[in-house]
Amino acid sequence: MSDSLLNNSLWFIPMTFVAAPAVAADYLSIPLAQQLLFPSASSFIERPTLFDSGARSAIKSHAGTRQRQDHQPIWRVEKDGQLQGWFMVDDVIGKHEYITYAAAISADGEVMGIEVLSYRETHGAEVRDESWRTNFKGKSLKDPFKLDEDVPNISGATLSCRNLLDGVKRLLTIHELFLARES
Amino acid sequence: MLRRAKPMLGTLTDIRITAPGHADVKVAMTDAFRLMSEIDTSLSFHRPMSALSSLNASPMQWTDMGRHGARILWLAKALGRLSDNRFNVTLGGALVTVGALPCHTEADFLPCGSWEDIEIKGTRARLKRPVLVTLDGIAKGYAVDMAVSCLKRSGVRAGSVNAGGDLKVFGEYGIKVLLRNSQGFTDTLWLKNAALASSRLGGGPDARFPSLIICQDAPPENSPQTESLLSVIAPFAWRADALTKVLASATPDMVTRLGGHIPYPASNPESTP
Repeated sequence: MSDSLLNNSLWFIPMTFVAAPAVAADYLSIPLAQQLLFPSASSFIERPTLFDSGARSAIKSHAGTRQRQDHQPIWRVEKDGQLQGWFMVDDVIGKHEYITYAAAISADGEVMGIEVLSYRETHGAEVRDESWRTNFKGKSLKDPFKLDEDVPNISGATLSCRNLLDGVKRLLTIHELFLARES
Repeated sequence: MLRRAKPMLGTLTDIRITAPGHADVKVAMTDAFRLMSEIDTSLSFHRPMSALSSLNASPMQWTDMGRHGARILWLAKALGRLSDNRFNVTLGGALVTVGALPCHTEADFLPCGSWEDIEIKGTRARLKRPVLVTLDGIAKGYAVDMAVSCLKRSGVRAGSVNAGGDLKVFGEYGIKVLLRNSQGFTDTLWLKNAALASSRLGGGPDARFPSLIICQDAPPENSPQTESLLSVIAPFAWRADALTKVLASATPDMVTRLGGHIPYPASNPESTP
């Protein structure tokens, strides 16, 4: 879009950046998130997973995003001995800081829900990001998970929601590569 | 106080409960998030399968928009009429053309229309011409309003819902809000029992803020020509959001007439009523 078009046609670029005091927010603890995402589960068996460099490369090539940490907190969720799904805690970079979130993934590899645990942006950046990328529920690796598929690509933009989306795809990949065989 | 956030409505949506009353806060929050999710699913321009996309894909044909969809279209139409089309939800075609919105239809469409192109009967709607309706901010604001209603119905006495800057505060406790522009913080205000929305006017295209709104008329003489912040307080988030767009090309008098007011004249002294 040229500058002249911008000026002549009066293109207004709306931006939402009203922030209730812009400070880092801790929303939920891990036990609370577990309760919300798996309300009927009877046990959460911690299964922290340590990835070596080969595993991290495999995740990167399948998911398209880098697996930063070696240690991935994972819980196997059971109800009366039956597998209900997997609860994972993960970090993705928002605009400047990490967003800590939890994802519930079903035994079949579908997202059952997402909860934000901590948001640490100090400048209210979260409320400025507009990606229209929203409902993760029911998403699986069969879904495109591509920004261009149903959201216009924005070059150079670092969108918290988009990063969450990439993070969720990475968690689904971890499920497929390392957890699905136990399902 | 309990707070929860979810990625929703294209942003991080935050609910805080400051006075739970007799409500089961976990259930109340879950219900409020679910309601917002339903509105998002049915009314997002970006979702090819949404009711809004069906409406856009089939001009002249009646499409069931659901209760929320029909209400938002009705509100958008009414505001379009009352603001002499300064608030216009039929500009989707122009936004698709510049790549600000995805294109879900192979048929030809007009770059823009007016509120008169939308016809509503019950929960069904149709477009009289092949325009593309985009509800963006108004639907997000409406979702915030509905989430607040849902919390109140559950018994919550005070709290707030914030979806990407469409903020509504209800109950006896106000909250402090920082309004800022690209240069930094500009003002602090206490918001109580009201909604607040902001838009940026002017400046060049910015990858961080990809949305575009097209205004057909020239701005009023006292409208700021340089990049500035337009914020509106209104009783409802949908109206506050919509009125920031009206304010971009109309005098503050019109905003006041339509039920909003400008919270901080300091950033826009020329246009103070």
